Amino acid sequence: MVKGTIYVEHLSKTFKKGNVQAVKDVSFAVEEGEFFAFLGPNGAGKSTTVQIVTTLISPSAGKVYVAEQDVLTNPKEVREHIGVALQETGIDPSLTGREMLHLQCRIFGFTNQQAKSRTNELLEVVQLSQAADRICGNYSGGMRRRLDLALTLVNKPKILFLDEPTTGLDPSNRKSIWDYLERLNKEEGTTIFLTTQYLEEADTLADRISIIDDGEIVATGTPQELKAQIGNDIIAMTFENEGEAEKAEAAITQHMPDADYVKNTTELNIYVQDGAKRLMEIVRLLDQQDLAAQTINVNTPTLDDIFLKITAEGERKRGEVEHG
Amino acid sequence: MGNGLLKDIWVLSKRSVLTTLRSPFSFIPNLLISTFFLLVYDSGLSGISQLPAFEGANYLAFILPVSVVSAAIGGAGGAGQGIVKDIENGFFSRLLLTPASRLSIVLGPIIAGMLQLFVQTILILIVAFLMGLEVATGFLGVLVVLLLAVGWGLAFAGYSAGIALKTKNAQAAQAGTLIFFPLIFLSTTFVPYELIESSWLKVAATINPTTYIFESMRTVLIDGWKFWGIAKGIIAITIACAITITFAAVSAKKAVSRG
Repeated sequence: MVKGTIYVEHLSKTFKKGNVQAVKDVSFAVEEGEFFAFLGPNGAGKSTTVQIVTTLISPSAGKVYVAEQDVLTNPKEVREHIGVALQETGIDPSLTGREMLHLQCRIFGFTNQQAKSRTNELLEVVQLSQAADRICGNYSGGMRRRLDLALTLVNKPKILFLDEPTTGLDPSNRKSIWDYLERLNKEEGTTIFLTTQYLEEADTLADRISIIDDGEIVATGTPQELKAQIGNDIIAMTFENEGEAEKAEAAITQHMPDADYVKNTTELNIYVQDGAKRLMEIVRLLDQQDLAAQTINVNTPTLDDIFLKITAEGERKRGEVEHG
Repeated sequence: MGNGLLKDIWVLSKRSVLTTLRSPFSFIPNLLISTFFLLVYDSGLSGISQLPAFEGANYLAFILPVSVVSAAIGGAGGAGQGIVKDIENGFFSRLLLTPASRLSIVLGPIIAGMLQLFVQTILILIVAFLMGLEVATGFLGVLVVLLLAVGWGLAFAGYSAGIALKTKNAQAAQAGTLIFFPLIFLSTTFVPYELIESSWLKVAATINPTTYIFESMRTVLIDGWKFWGIAKGIIAITIACAITITFAAVSAKKAVSRG
């Protein structure tokens, strides 16, 4: 039996068209049975990474092993052990849900009988038994997603890859997808690799998260570790207008060079070890500059904060490169 | 897990046939147009078969290959359209993510296209017989016409699938089928070669492989078992298939994998 592991080393992908470097020297490893999430904004390189590790496109550089097989030399073996739900569902709208599942079973080598029973089983799992004999073209978005998920499960994959599986779904459909995934991971021990833009999703589901931004992994850890990484506290301030916020930003840069901060229009977040103590310092500093914040709060961080902080740092770095 | 190549091809061709049957408007217009050609050209032009160059041939037998070949080309174009649709609705990627052989993924729609035009050709032949067609070589000759039609359709299916895989774009695949018109009409479509007046059309007809398909079919339908006349069409089909299927396979390889 192969193990449901993913191993990626120094993976890069440059698209010839437009010479875009979508993935830059990405390395990570996923253990068997682990629920791993790639968290990042649109265009961060999440989908490109998924397409490479699932054999759809080839890397420009780097090594990728999925289920202990090299995706470049043994793509067929890799495909036998994985289930993949891409961002776009992969459904022939002229077939019924039952026909789609039956076809998928047959492609994976099931006999007619086996295909029939597996199809019924999966229709039950994703609650599509009622709609099984309707043409998929008439399914709602949520039903298509569920059918697509069922299609990825046909071969009882060791590893499930899901590229933004809940984007565009309403909360109840999202919740039901989350429940399936948790069950698969906990009960069947399926390794899951999920990409998402939703922090809540990664925080709820994943054992471990890598934050990817502009083609690079910028942080990896358990949700708890990531929250700890940001520092203990956040001093969150809002100002009357952007000009005030900018003045405050300048003052912080000048007088508190060790402080980490993120400015977002009229908001300024400062990340510090010891929030209550630094708060006095900051208030004094603002006072000296004749600045007054409209609100000041000291918060413990959420994943949202780390995401914001890390992606904002990326922006800033890129800005410096472009201007300098 | 996984199948042999033949089971993959069987399973995927079956699905393509089902998809085609579910959208009848993808083949009914083509069938109607081809039958229309047969009726209109025969009714309107049959008088010219009195000319000596026709050597007393029945015009219905002369024009039948035009109808059959136009149905074949139109039907085969469906293979490319099917692939584009699959790419657009994400189903093509879903297939690529399975262990199914890459060849079967491309052959599925092509084989379904062949079956479609096989049935179409039979229907057109039935209409022709109802109109009073007589075939010099009898039933075997009709089979030869059928095989020539399917062979020429296969060549065209390779071309349309190749364009579809190369461009992955419905408009481009549609535009690619425009080659239908020069293929059908820049040839000995309505009159024998000797009666074509303009020299450029003579040149075009000589280059156009369809001319040789027409010639083979007409030989079988009108003249009888004449080896060279029939062989020309088979040679043209073999060469064209070799070129277009290679083109499709190369485009598929690029589209399918990995670049």
